[in-house]
Amino acid sequence: MKKFLTDLKKYYKYAFRLSKAELTEEVSESYLNWLWWVIHPLMMMLIYVFVFTVVFKSKETYYTVFIFLGLAGWDFFNRMLNESVNIIRNNRNIILRIYIPKYILLLSKSFTFLFKFFISMLITIVLMFIFKIEFSFTCFYMILLLPILYMITFGLGCILIHLGVYIDDLKKIVEIVLRLLFYLSGVFYSISERLHGLFSYILLNCNPIAFFMDEFRKCMLYNQHPNFMILSIWFVIGIIIFSIGIHTIYKYENGYAKVI
Amino acid sequence: MKKKNIAITVENLSLVYRSFSKFSIKKHLFSLKKMLRKKYVALKNVSFEVYEGTIVGIIGKNGCGKTTLLKVLGNVFSPDSGIVDLHGHSVSLMAIGVGFNNNISGYENIFLSGMLLGFSEEEINEKIDEIIEFSELEEFIYDPVKNYSSGMVSKLAFSITAILETDIILIDEVLSVGDINFKQKSFNRMQELIHNSDKTVLIVSHDMKVLEETCDSVIWLHDGEVKMNGKPKTVISKYKEFMKVKN
Repeated sequence: MKKFLTDLKKYYKYAFRLSKAELTEEVSESYLNWLWWVIHPLMMMLIYVFVFTVVFKSKETYYTVFIFLGLAGWDFFNRMLNESVNIIRNNRNIILRIYIPKYILLLSKSFTFLFKFFISMLITIVLMFIFKIEFSFTCFYMILLLPILYMITFGLGCILIHLGVYIDDLKKIVEIVLRLLFYLSGVFYSISERLHGLFSYILLNCNPIAFFMDEFRKCMLYNQHPNFMILSIWFVIGIIIFSIGIHTIYKYENGYAKVI
Repeated sequence: MKKKNIAITVENLSLVYRSFSKFSIKKHLFSLKKMLRKKYVALKNVSFEVYEGTIVGIIGKNGCGKTTLLKVLGNVFSPDSGIVDLHGHSVSLMAIGVGFNNNISGYENIFLSGMLLGFSEEEINEKIDEIIEFSELEEFIYDPVKNYSSGMVSKLAFSITAILETDIILIDEVLSVGDINFKQKSFNRMQELIHNSDKTVLIVSHDMKVLEETCDSVIWLHDGEVKMNGKPKTVISKYKEFMKVKN
């Protein structure tokens, strides 16, 4: 634990700088430059809005913003997990030459993805103005929700980093599981309205990303309080996953270089 | 003679490469035989001590574990058994171009690379002019690294590691960078670093002449074991004799 804090202090600036450099690099040679950070999520949202309102006739309230908020949360979760599986192999060049706590690489990526998430949040707020959705103080629960989601995702990511080093097939498996999860998590529909009974309850509360997406929407769009009981359970689980993840990496990271 | 502190202690260090480690689930499921684990012993019971401010050369034929030893000291690999104690000194492998990202500018890469080596932003800020000057890149420094010629990349990389110094420097045959001018310059810089009395330096090289001139002692590794450890002259002449007999 102490080691984690000192390492974090030592390397977070590096992670931050790397993430910043990568973000600028991503758009520096395109004509629209940073506008892509806004255009890309907006276009994605429009595609889903088209498919699900015109083709499938969805009727969720404030559907445009509903989808947008869902996508923002999902993208963060999805990108983090997808990235972590191969992160060691993608950074061979660093791993084979110097010591760095391996989760720092994920930390750097997480800054990049968080940045994109915050842009999405800004767009959400703009959209809420456009659609005249009432802001209420429940929006501030986001400050509570986001760190917990981050902790769970980061912990899961660390575990995937470790397994990904040893199991080549994991990349494919994670891809499939995440695709399944995408459809089960209610990115483009409301689980509680479409599904009923125990099934709905399980889908909503046992899947972290579905739960958090739902809570985001409740707080931002529908002026509701989060489900504090389930939230605190996820908080505890998050701490456990996070500690397991960090602990595993510390225990095995110096062996990674021999494998890749 | 002034009593010197120990900079590195290595005791009974062993390291084994196993080639089974990475496996695919399919292979694992369908191979009925228990997978043969190919073992390759890279280091066997290596023990030595290095005093602060000394220069130690490491010699041996290809594949005898020289680079592996440096990587263990640089904390890239963890040993399978044995102890490595750096007594709290900061260490860097003269790893050329570590963490370079081709799409971003050389300037930004100096920071990234330097921070990976464990320096703070402020320390790099202080030395950045020196690094740029040493690298001879001038205004190219603000261009993305992918536009550099390979010589420019290695010049930049060398400059970073040469200007930002750690207590213990591990060098793995990096003295052949750039054109003749730059080579001479980097050689001089190495000499300067090496003769700075606070720095402890470990050099892996095949250039016996350089080693004999600069080192305080030389370790001869053979098949992962320390065959000899002592004064450069004696070790190197024995080593040369040994290689001749084999040929």
